[in-house]
Amino acid sequence: MPPRSLLDVDDLSPGEIVSVLDRAVAFRDQLPARDLLAGVPVLNLFFEASTRTATSFTLAEQRVGADVITFAPGASSLGKGETIADTALTLHGIGVRVIVVRHPESGFARRLADAFAGHVVNAGDGTHAHPTQALLDLMTLRQEFDRFEGLRVAIVGDILHSRVARSNIVGMRALGIEVTLVGPPTLLPPEFAANGVRVERDLDAVLAGVDAVMMLRIQRERIDAGLLPALDDYTRRYQLNRARLRSLRTDAVILHPGPYNRGIELTDDVLDDPRSRYVAQVRNGVFVRMAVLDLLVNGAPVAA
Amino acid sequence: MKTLIRGGRLIDPVQGIDAVRDVLIENGFVSRVGEHLDADGARVVDAGNAIVAPGFIDMHVHLREPGQTYKETIATGTAAAAAGGFTAVACMPNTEPALDAVAIVGEIVRRAEAAGFARVYPVGAITKGRAGKELAPYHLLFDAGCVAFSDDGSTPRDARVLRNAARYAADLPCAFISHCEDPDLKGDAVMNEGAASMRLGLGGAPGLAEDVIVARDLLIAADSGKAWHIAHVSTATSLDLIRWARARGVRVTCEVTPHHLVFLDDRFDDYRADAKVNPPLRGAHDRDALRAAVLDGTIDALATDHAPHGADEKAQLLSAAPVGFSGLEIALGAYALALPELTLARYVELLAVNPARILGVPGGTLAAGSPGDVTVFADRPWTVDARLFHSKGKNTPFDGMELPRRALATIVDGAVVFEHGGVLPREAATA
Repeated sequence: MPPRSLLDVDDLSPGEIVSVLDRAVAFRDQLPARDLLAGVPVLNLFFEASTRTATSFTLAEQRVGADVITFAPGASSLGKGETIADTALTLHGIGVRVIVVRHPESGFARRLADAFAGHVVNAGDGTHAHPTQALLDLMTLRQEFDRFEGLRVAIVGDILHSRVARSNIVGMRALGIEVTLVGPPTLLPPEFAANGVRVERDLDAVLAGVDAVMMLRIQRERIDAGLLPALDDYTRRYQLNRARLRSLRTDAVILHPGPYNRGIELTDDVLDDPRSRYVAQVRNGVFVRMAVLDLLVNGAPVAA
Repeated sequence: MKTLIRGGRLIDPVQGIDAVRDVLIENGFVSRVGEHLDADGARVVDAGNAIVAPGFIDMHVHLREPGQTYKETIATGTAAAAAGGFTAVACMPNTEPALDAVAIVGEIVRRAEAAGFARVYPVGAITKGRAGKELAPYHLLFDAGCVAFSDDGSTPRDARVLRNAARYAADLPCAFISHCEDPDLKGDAVMNEGAASMRLGLGGAPGLAEDVIVARDLLIAADSGKAWHIAHVSTATSLDLIRWARARGVRVTCEVTPHHLVFLDDRFDDYRADAKVNPPLRGAHDRDALRAAVLDGTIDALATDHAPHGADEKAQLLSAAPVGFSGLEIALGAYALALPELTLARYVELLAVNPARILGVPGGTLAAGSPGDVTVFADRPWTVDARLFHSKGKNTPFDGMELPRRALATIVDGAVVFEHGGVLPREAATA
């Protein structure tokens, strides 16, 4: 069997997702000794700029005692001459056993994992997947509601270009969460209505009925690409703001993968709202990533 | 020189023959078709338990020469054609430089003669450099040997340019062949737009990108009176548009590829580019409509869009990898796989009779006096091993698949250029 990788959430069974979250919670409650990955060389290979995810992974790796190497090549340096297979062979030869990779093209992590004789952790590939983000979102939801089955979550915004949305859809559906996607047709084509996922256009009609709402970042380049008109046209229907906060239940929570754009997908009122869980999300990220590294390298924990 | 193809089941729709017949070729032309012909002095090809047909013509092939001979050459591409059962190919003009000048076309004809496998019919560019701006010299290119015109690989973006080209070249007996994809609607797509592209986070081209250009080109065909051929149709709507145009008297023909008849847009889960092609593999609705359109006569020709590339190129990331793959050496089997209910007579029409008619080239029948170009094939299952291709392009999504039909022998100009799995140039075959 080739070494296990985490390319998307569905590389884990529902039971394993829960097991990773349990482990993350245990790490949060008490940091483990720094020896879970003692002496294991872990390479952070980020072809795309990242502040939160790169920092979070680095801290997680240090807390499990790995030998951390960080390398941020330009997005184009691989593929000019050296093939993915050659790069994978080289890195393994050097001694790297785990690659944490982020790349602007969908599928890069998969192509690397197919060529690399070690573990690959996908830290975001194009618009495809970002599994550790989905896991930290799930951890945050469980912390709040202590269950998954039957929870109702709305994901709002640029679904088409969101790897966070895709991984969350996969993970949430696997755990029995009811997922409603909300956005305009250019950013949320009707094809997303599959496998029990609902597609809605009217955020106001959805908000009152959900346990959690996840707001996605809206990038200005969508306007240049002709997918959106002026931002105020978008915000009129899809921005989470003071008025819409009133529709949201008092026991509901607000998630955002960051970095957020104040005044676009949400207003300052949202960040100040007690239902916002942004800080819990980023905090949980470190523990989830520790748990993922532990699972991939050391395998499942011995049953208690 | 005499060649006798003996004991095969001759399928010649033009002559209305479906019977066991011998075919005798003398000095490059069919001299007799009959029973128990005298083999005296003839090279004999035993076609017992096999089917004999007028030579198959693949009207959509990329030979890559000049300019990209690491992908394919006229010699390797025509050897692949012979091995695949094709006696002739039409080669597309997206070479480097493009086939937009007499000297280049002449050189292709000369090199094809020298290679001596299949016949090569050059397709000239519609615009200089396929840049979509200036018209190519159609009459000069026709005189140099071009049988059709196309900017294949892309489409002239400016409808005015295409309209003027069609009007200027209207009285030449060369169809315009359209590669129909709107570059703006296609964007940076690497596959078909649909549930699969959404799930994988990959850029998808909607069927609409093809349909709008098919509609535009059919209207320009109607306006200009130019005979038109739509290459590699991939959507149900394109087929409806073609039917609509025909009902109004537009002179339009069309082709479909083996991959669009067999595969769906579900081949990208591994993010490899093996099945990346333009237009992209579509969903089941389109694929099923294509199969039905072959059976109902909407589609006139089967063509491979043989597009060889280096293995390293196809191993790149999806965004960087080139489009297309080898097709010549899987075609006969792939068509039979996709269309098991297709009659042999219709199969031969789609592969020989109609391509010859559309391109205005000899062949399509083995009536006495016709060119001595013959394809011998049989329904014998075999497994594709792309490493064994004569083409330099060893990439195909058909690799490893079992196909129900294959070519057994290919005879060009009376010379046996392919038999028993091996190819031999005409000169050597007749020596």
